[in-house]
Amino acid sequence: MGTDRVVEVGYGDVAKVRIGKGLPLAYIGGPCAIESRDHTFRMAEAIGKICARLNIPWIFKACYDKDCRSSADSFHGVGLEEGLQILADVRDAFGVPVISDFSDPSWGPATGEVCDMVQVPAYLCRQTSILRAAAKTGRPVHLKKGQFMSPWNMKNSVRKLDAFGGVGTVLADRGTFFGYNMLVNDMTCFPIMSKTGCPVCFDASHSIQMPTSMGNVSGGQREFIPALVRAAAACGIQALFMETHDDPKNALSDPNTVLDLKYLEFVLAQAKKVHEMRLALLEEFGEDNVHTGS
Amino acid sequence: MSTPAREPKQVLDVALGLDAFPVLRPDDLLKTALEEMTAKRLGIVCIIDDAGLLQGVFTDGDIRRHLLSVQRPFAAFFSDDVIDHAQRKATTVPATASLREALDVMARLRIWDLPVVDDQGRLTGLLHLHPLVEAVMAADTRN
Repeated sequence: MGTDRVVEVGYGDVAKVRIGKGLPLAYIGGPCAIESRDHTFRMAEAIGKICARLNIPWIFKACYDKDCRSSADSFHGVGLEEGLQILADVRDAFGVPVISDFSDPSWGPATGEVCDMVQVPAYLCRQTSILRAAAKTGRPVHLKKGQFMSPWNMKNSVRKLDAFGGVGTVLADRGTFFGYNMLVNDMTCFPIMSKTGCPVCFDASHSIQMPTSMGNVSGGQREFIPALVRAAAACGIQALFMETHDDPKNALSDPNTVLDLKYLEFVLAQAKKVHEMRLALLEEFGEDNVHTGS
Repeated sequence: MSTPAREPKQVLDVALGLDAFPVLRPDDLLKTALEEMTAKRLGIVCIIDDAGLLQGVFTDGDIRRHLLSVQRPFAAFFSDDVIDHAQRKATTVPATASLREALDVMARLRIWDLPVVDDQGRLTGLLHLHPLVEAVMAADTRN
């Protein structure tokens, strides 16, 4: 069992977000991909207002390169240089820490120079080269459990990041393959991955994804987002990851899984309440320990 | 003329050295513990911290008990830290104890191995039942 760790996100003048046991639920969210400067700013402003109203610590997420699209024709992103400039400007304008994933180890240094936290895509969660690059950025890492990985085996990836000098890791569940084109959430992921000592996060957007179920694009069942978010928060998470868009139908990336912005406050408010209720239950009843076999 | 071998009387005379039995760190995987026990042909792993202090032991009996009580896939069990399944309060013996004293402890507790520790609690060896019995029997024969 690892020692419980607190991950601190944010350098310089941005609001610092602390993710860990007993702390307020952190929100990692944004529009999946950077579609344009105007859209990214519009989304950051709208999400920022919601998080301020709810008093939820927030890390803005948008990616500059979507390297795991189903089709070569899909939107691939604005690219590293332009994307990181937009993220840096969002960061300055709103004082919010930012995160982007990166799919190529050579993009690590530039990503870490701008972003307060770097994200390792689920498909690459056990690739030594990308984990090394993530740790070397000197920024905390948001590491998603691969859809093909067991939660207990994520310990190996955490130890790789530690071995490469990583400064902190948050482990996320984004669903596990359940046959073809289908994911399922095993909520025992959270207590199991917590044993590493890392804070754990629920990725609500990709958990309801139906990978490449639409021929050359992924489908999704976003109607289940609220129920799964409440369940995950009740199980014990320290962060919630959820992508949102003001016009999901026309989103350039993940149109079938992003949450409509008009529902973001509705879902976040419930997540926060369930999280606070869980903390109160922990205070009253202590940690879960009902196993009598060993 | 060669010097006759000293008659073994104390634990230190027959204890296995640190490289002759499984010694692991708390965060080594349980799978590693099983491999080490098989390689060294012993039913015990001693777990030490960076200072060499004994943190616990993990034995064949612990494996049996956990297989029956931990209802999880083998893959999950193998991925656990060995310390999570270890007995934290192991019975130990000092290197200066007599063989008879050590044998009495083993007989009373019905165990096969006793970690040998110094007065600081640092692991210095392992007393295994077979060489102990051989030494005691040899002494009885001589006497």
